[in-house]
Amino acid sequence: MEYKTPVDAYTGTIREVTIGKGKKAVKIGGDNKLPLHFFDEGSYPNPIKFALQILDMEPKDWPEHLAGPFRDVMSDPVKWAKKCEGFGVDAIALYLISTDPMEKDTSAEEAASLVKRMVSELNVPLIVYGSGDEKKDSEVLTKVAEVCDGSNLLIGPVQKENYQIIGKAILDHGHTAIAQTPLDINLLKELNVKLCKFMPAERIVIDPLSSPLGYGMEYSFSLMERVKQIGVITEDSMTQMPIIANLGDECWKTKQAKESKEQGLLWEGITALSLILAGANILVLRHPETLKLVKETIRPVR
Amino acid sequence: MIIIGENIHVIANEVSTAVRERNAKTIHDLAKAQTEAGADYIDLNVGPMKQDTEGTMKWLVDTVQEVTDLPLTIDTMNPVAMEAGLKFCKKRPLLNSASGKQLSKEQMLPLAAKYKCDVVVSVMTDKGMPPDVDSKIESILDTAAYANELGIPDEDIWIDPIILPVSTAGEGQRFAVICLDFIQILQDVLPGVKSTVGLSNISNGVPAPLRPMLNRTYLMMLNRSGLYSAIADPLDVEFMKLVKGEMPEIVDLIYRTMDGEKIALSSLSEKEVEYVKTTKVLMGETLYSDAWLES
Repeated sequence: MEYKTPVDAYTGTIREVTIGKGKKAVKIGGDNKLPLHFFDEGSYPNPIKFALQILDMEPKDWPEHLAGPFRDVMSDPVKWAKKCEGFGVDAIALYLISTDPMEKDTSAEEAASLVKRMVSELNVPLIVYGSGDEKKDSEVLTKVAEVCDGSNLLIGPVQKENYQIIGKAILDHGHTAIAQTPLDINLLKELNVKLCKFMPAERIVIDPLSSPLGYGMEYSFSLMERVKQIGVITEDSMTQMPIIANLGDECWKTKQAKESKEQGLLWEGITALSLILAGANILVLRHPETLKLVKETIRPVR
Repeated sequence: MIIIGENIHVIANEVSTAVRERNAKTIHDLAKAQTEAGADYIDLNVGPMKQDTEGTMKWLVDTVQEVTDLPLTIDTMNPVAMEAGLKFCKKRPLLNSASGKQLSKEQMLPLAAKYKCDVVVSVMTDKGMPPDVDSKIESILDTAAYANELGIPDEDIWIDPIILPVSTAGEGQRFAVICLDFIQILQDVLPGVKSTVGLSNISNGVPAPLRPMLNRTYLMMLNRSGLYSAIADPLDVEFMKLVKGEMPEIVDLIYRTMDGEKIALSSLSEKEVEYVKTTKVLMGETLYSDAWLES
């Protein structure tokens, strides 16, 4: 009997989401089969994208093997971002951590003016993350949305507690939202349902939280995998948004990554590759050498 | 469908206060309301009841029996409280509950034999909750055989597959389907045996105003699978209308949804749409979220 390779075909398609504007724009998502299932029918119109993370203030606790490549530019986030462009990123992810009331409590106006300056200097799209403080983010991220009107930033985290106010600003000023929920598929869907009541689903990217290797990565993996399966196989419209794996931050908090450079690169790299397998469409990394390593590893299949 | 009224439950503050202070009026009101609503049994969930066990139990059973002729369900994990309760029941009570746990087999099942009453037997074992249909079957075969040896016939055993909240991320919907399948094949496995569920647990963790919709729909689905009884809230008027067969068009809609019929939602009323959406969630067809009625 002749062997025939089984080929699956699915009916659901992940939405294609554009971030950035004009020549700077990149697209993510659009896949209509499971991640890295090259043997099945369907396509991946947009290869996986990578961003490097930068902060709006000089980090205090980065080990030298992480801070090294950026030591000369860390005091100026715009220079830092420009340097990252040189490493071949698809986007820059700026974290406004100094706005955190527990940090410097930087004002919304100041944060927004930094974002604006960065948008005009950069040749790649910008992802903007607030500090995660629900209240402060409502001020900061709405201000950022307003000041950068029309530049289609990818802005988050939009959470259950502040989705109405931040979501509305994102919608009104022509940006895209990162809907973030804490590792729970039911909550993830609920937030998407609520956002979609007033904004188009094509303006939403899912951040399910990305736990690093050894610290719960399996949860993030299973969750992303399930979100993709439900979107592609059972066609649940509320899980058909592309996924952002925001992992650099979490990986470099681990003791293992801080211990040595080799270990750190592998910690971040393995986490990244795993989450690509699970279905991430865009990844935020921290170390430029991890970026190189991961890109090289997936080049044959990208 | 036999409905066991769940409202006399010590987790409710007013009930625990009433029991402690021997306030008969609160208990009378709850017993009467459930009786009038059409319940078939009144469940007395007294918790562990560590102090003055026999005195309290006697008072509670007597108090309830002053205002209702319905049989009672004695619901406690404490074998002393259980026996005290069973002893004072005028009508043949239901022991709630025994399980496949060794201690329960040794302490609870002999009480059911002694008082010749009906007994709820859950699938729980010392290893925990059997996760799938096969292991649930294995558990109840074992416990039922043990009960038979004590002289309890299959007809007196009410099997409880243990319902878990549908909202539990990842697993809840799968378990909802497993319980439907389990009830479906139960009569083939143990002909003559009865069944019951703690229905409200399906909607545990769900925002309160949305809970009845899940409870109502799931009961109708379980009913189709052949469920014999449920511990539930008879004070939910729409729920009791469904139970009494007064809403056949809704039941039909639930069945058609279960059968995978493509139903045009635009042709339905708002309430009908909600039943269709809820059925799909409980079948595991659409991913659960608290906003399941809104999408």
